[in-house]
Amino acid sequence: MQVRRCGSLTKLLITEITRMGPAFCVIGLQRENKNIHSIRPVPSSANGWIHFPHQRGDILEFSLAPFPGAKPHIEDRVSTRAFQKSSALAEAEIVPFLRRAELARSLPELFGCKVHENKKGSGLYAMPPEAQRSICGCETQNLRLEICANELRASLVLPSGEVLRDLPAVDHDWRNFVDAALAPDRGANRLPRLERFLNSNFHYKIMSCPHHFIRLGLTRPYSGLCWLMLDTLFPLPRPEWLEEF
Amino acid sequence: MNDSRSPLVSKTDSQRSLVEACFRREAGSVESIPADNVDLLEAGILDSMAWVSFLRAVETASGVPDLGSGLNQRSASLGEVLAALQNSASEISRVNDAALDPKISSSPTLAAFGASSAAVGSRVIPSEDVDRAFNMPAGKLRGRAGIESLAYAGEGENELTLGARAAQEALRSASCGPQELDWIIATSETHHDYPSLSAQLHSRLLVRENCGALDVGGACLGLLNALAVVKSLIGSGQARTILVVTADVHTRTLTPSRVAGEFGGLFGDGASAFLLRAADAVSANGGYLLGEFIFGCAGQYAAAIQVSDEKDGGLAVQFDGEALSRAAITRMEKVISSVELRSGIPRGSVGGFATHQPNPRLVALLAKQCGVSPERFPPIARVYGNLGSSTCGAALHEILRSASQQTGGELRPIFLASLGPGLLFGGAWLTPHENRK
Repeated sequence: MQVRRCGSLTKLLITEITRMGPAFCVIGLQRENKNIHSIRPVPSSANGWIHFPHQRGDILEFSLAPFPGAKPHIEDRVSTRAFQKSSALAEAEIVPFLRRAELARSLPELFGCKVHENKKGSGLYAMPPEAQRSICGCETQNLRLEICANELRASLVLPSGEVLRDLPAVDHDWRNFVDAALAPDRGANRLPRLERFLNSNFHYKIMSCPHHFIRLGLTRPYSGLCWLMLDTLFPLPRPEWLEEF
Repeated sequence: MNDSRSPLVSKTDSQRSLVEACFRREAGSVESIPADNVDLLEAGILDSMAWVSFLRAVETASGVPDLGSGLNQRSASLGEVLAALQNSASEISRVNDAALDPKISSSPTLAAFGASSAAVGSRVIPSEDVDRAFNMPAGKLRGRAGIESLAYAGEGENELTLGARAAQEALRSASCGPQELDWIIATSETHHDYPSLSAQLHSRLLVRENCGALDVGGACLGLLNALAVVKSLIGSGQARTILVVTADVHTRTLTPSRVAGEFGGLFGDGASAFLLRAADAVSANGGYLLGEFIFGCAGQYAAAIQVSDEKDGGLAVQFDGEALSRAAITRMEKVISSVELRSGIPRGSVGGFATHQPNPRLVALLAKQCGVSPERFPPIARVYGNLGSSTCGAALHEILRSASQQTGGELRPIFLASLGPGLLFGGAWLTPHENRK
């Protein structure tokens, strides 16, 4: 992986492109000596990108400046100039680097703090002052995606056996896949067909994939809480899967 | 209909109160209740996370499962939530009415097999290796018991992993999402940890939080006990979709240092899973319906097999192989005769016998005693060893699998018969679904 500081430029391997609302959030991996850690480049005027014309696996050169952001989004850096692509890695080559970055096996390890269950309804959250980071990778013992009232949600089992339910799935590629599956030109019963796919073939395709891996993130503080999200799910969906249902 | 029930208008009012209470908890008490047709997301009253959180709260409070999927492709309004809630409630009410009201239905809902699967330990060991491990003469298990090989759990395999593998395969082949399950019923004679096996499976399979999890005992009779519970839950309208899982890993407990080879050498590791649904929810073509059961306990044979923990962590095993063999053959033949009488199905017309298989020799003797071909008994113990509660499960899966691949000809009934220490006994029958149309 050619990911290193290059003069005043920082090379990032793009590993996450998430979508929640109109903007994209982007995260990349930076290598410093033997360490690999996550960096979230943000535009100078907002937390997300309205337009981001790159893909996961692209290696981009950024000019980054420290960002005086509040915990737990310690990975934020301001991108001060236009960035450019220098090379790219295949999907299967990304995951080994993710496994060497932030990694957890249990709920408290994810963000270095206690994770709380929403007592009013669904979802899990962390308290912003307690969380030590806002992104972390993990293996899963099981994972399920479902469409709940038009929203893509994920439930998963950590290696510790702890269950995380109803996490918003904000992975850009997976959300695009669901949008494409539900496109009007795909005929009748689109939603039941998608649900059937998610309940059967999806599980087999994802869990048996040798580079199955996920990354969980925290939202920006909202009413004083940071909510857990499924940021990235490997393998990424393939367009040809749409032909299967 | 039951006259004591509340009028529809008050049920609707209580549903509205429930929805509004959940909304206030999510949006805060200062937020006024929006009109029924206001899209909560478009109006910015709730964000997408709060919207799903609100729906989950309504599901929990109302007991209506999977309300969210009923709202797909609908607007995010209180009116749609109320409509979905009323639809789900009337569906539950209709099923309960059908089950409980003799004017509507004279018989309870039947349970139908939707799919099945089995999984065994990944290490298949020749029985001669097991003879040697237990310090027995090589060839003893093959010669005396008829066991050719045994399935042993590999590293990383246990009751949970084997059970989950079988369960996921059964769900997949039925195209049934885990969120459709109303209950998981698990049985194992070797899993004694907490959380229990059903609870661990509940988490591992990512079923709905309000799906029940129940463990039943009975050792080798466990599958029949579990299926009897299924029959009651579905028959009474309390459940529509149930997953039954058996899982047994003997080789970590019945080790050469703890038990004699004549006992411990017989056992292998495996699991099975069955998805059962209310019969009115599945296609009648090619499936099987769960029939009736007989159960009992022949206490005179209780001393033939007894296993208990010792204070020093050892295992006390009382095993009178000869007495147990005689009792097993006699009792299983009686069970099969009783099933034959109760069902009115002659044993000669049965397509397969899913029975407990203490060892292959006893299966051959049982077949002879019953006057049926030994080929009607899938050779589970011969290839994998005695799998405990999963022996009967693996045999039943094999019979169902063969039946599903059958081209042409009529499906034939299946008999179940099993035993457990005590000497517990039980039997049941399955009939082809199309016969009940």
